Amino acid sequence: MPFRIHILAVALVLTAGSAVAQQRIATLDDTALAAQACNVCHGSQSYLSPTMPPIRGVDATTLYTALIELKTDKRPSTIMGRISRGYSDEQLKALADYLSKN
Amino acid sequence: MTKTSFSRRNVLAGLGATAGLLAAPHIASAQASAGRVVVIGGGFGGATAARYVKLFSPDTDVVLVERDATYITCPFSNYVLAGIRDLNSITHRRDPLRQRFGVRLVRGEATAVDTNARSVKLKDGASLPYDRLVVAPGIELNYAGVPGWSEQAANTVMPHAWKAGPQTVLLRKQLEAMADGGTVIIAPPANPFRCPPGPYERVSMIAWYLKNHKPKSKILVLDAKDAFSKQGLFMAGWESQYPGMITWIAGKDGGKVESVDPKGMTVTAGFGKEKGAVINVIPPQTAGRIALDAGLAEANGWCAVDPASFASRKAQNVYVLGDASIAGAMPKSGTAANSQAKVVAANIAASLRGVTAPTAVYHNTCYSLVTPDYGISVSDTYRPGPQGVAVVPNSGGVSPARAEAAQRKAEANYTMGWYAGIIADTFG
Repeated sequence: MPFRIHILAVALVLTAGSAVAQQRIATLDDTALAAQACNVCHGSQSYLSPTMPPIRGVDATTLYTALIELKTDKRPSTIMGRISRGYSDEQLKALADYLSKN
Repeated sequence: MTKTSFSRRNVLAGLGATAGLLAAPHIASAQASAGRVVVIGGGFGGATAARYVKLFSPDTDVVLVERDATYITCPFSNYVLAGIRDLNSITHRRDPLRQRFGVRLVRGEATAVDTNARSVKLKDGASLPYDRLVVAPGIELNYAGVPGWSEQAANTVMPHAWKAGPQTVLLRKQLEAMADGGTVIIAPPANPFRCPPGPYERVSMIAWYLKNHKPKSKILVLDAKDAFSKQGLFMAGWESQYPGMITWIAGKDGGKVESVDPKGMTVTAGFGKEKGAVINVIPPQTAGRIALDAGLAEANGWCAVDPASFASRKAQNVYVLGDASIAGAMPKSGTAANSQAKVVAANIAASLRGVTAPTAVYHNTCYSLVTPDYGISVSDTYRPGPQGVAVVPNSGGVSPARAEAAQRKAEANYTMGWYAGIIADTFG
């Protein structure tokens, strides 16, 4: 059951009227919830990490390929290999699709 | 596939399509069509829960109750001890939660919870009704857990520095005042306690300071435990970076502290009595006081929860998360609390709508510095299981035992990125 709650389109707006940063969660499902964990290190739509690569809005195929290569140790990493092994290939595909669009 | 339409969905979605979104949180707060959520505690767990309830359910009225005006993070407080960070850089305000996300901030101390009437009483006499309550009070220090020690001793001569703030400053000043050649004694508690790698990163960071300023000094770690988080990585790092400076004594070898004497500045452990120039007592802990007073804790002082939602096992419509909870395989860490809070927020949003919540998945990553250029980590993904929250098999783990300097340096850089990221994700 991929979609369980339909959530309002949300836009979060910085107080500076001209500098508008929006974060949208159209639908909260298993993948949308799981993807929120990525924010801690990689940032969100409204915040970019100073030391981690951005992942939001990156092409889904590029992200999925990277996650699979990290999972299988074909691509060197510090912690992302360890993290990606916590998900099935299908879950990584869904995460890549979600992150590419949100 | 279940999709639930909400009565105000079109209204807010319409607003969301315009540039006039600044008003949306206030509209949501005023109309409050999706219930009221009260959050006790504005640390990593509570602040994240408040923010994400508003994200997942914007028309829910969210009230965050917090005693202190600012939040000084325990993560990175060890770097204040090392002299590579100052207290201001780890002190954060919660105003963005109100300004950007519409969370209502109430400065006060929760003193009682009536789970039948669904209301929280504050020290000033005010009452806050709730439909769902999040309890995220962190830890309570057990001063009586170390014979001879006391709150007064902690505030004057034997600081714990396990809640960042004045105690961190006191311990730093003691290190600065210490003569070269003195012994720093650090006494970590038995499990479970806040931040399992924390005492050992502290050892590393104090060693960094001593190596650079008082190189004849020693560190003696008197541990109640026989093993600790990232032990192999820490001990290899100590051997390579601080040879001969650090001695760790396991509980089984007489390391467990039996008593302390604040006047004589001595510690008595299983192996005998030792005098310290600086003594850092990290005491046993329980869930924060309000969780105990509200009857949410088990006999062991920690709060049992449903591993799929972090709903309290003791009270309906109440969620306990972060350090105060019994979280199975998850450690008591800022990242764990942040992760649990997102699951709690999703469950609250779903329950207020009367729909099924998404499936829980949790994460924890704990970075530690051995030196400012030498980082190590433990990272795990978790799912709810029949015995509680459990690590996903064949995933996670610690940094490799053998690694090039470049990898240690990369993890040190990521430590900085993690901190900036989690602060932005938690407080806005």
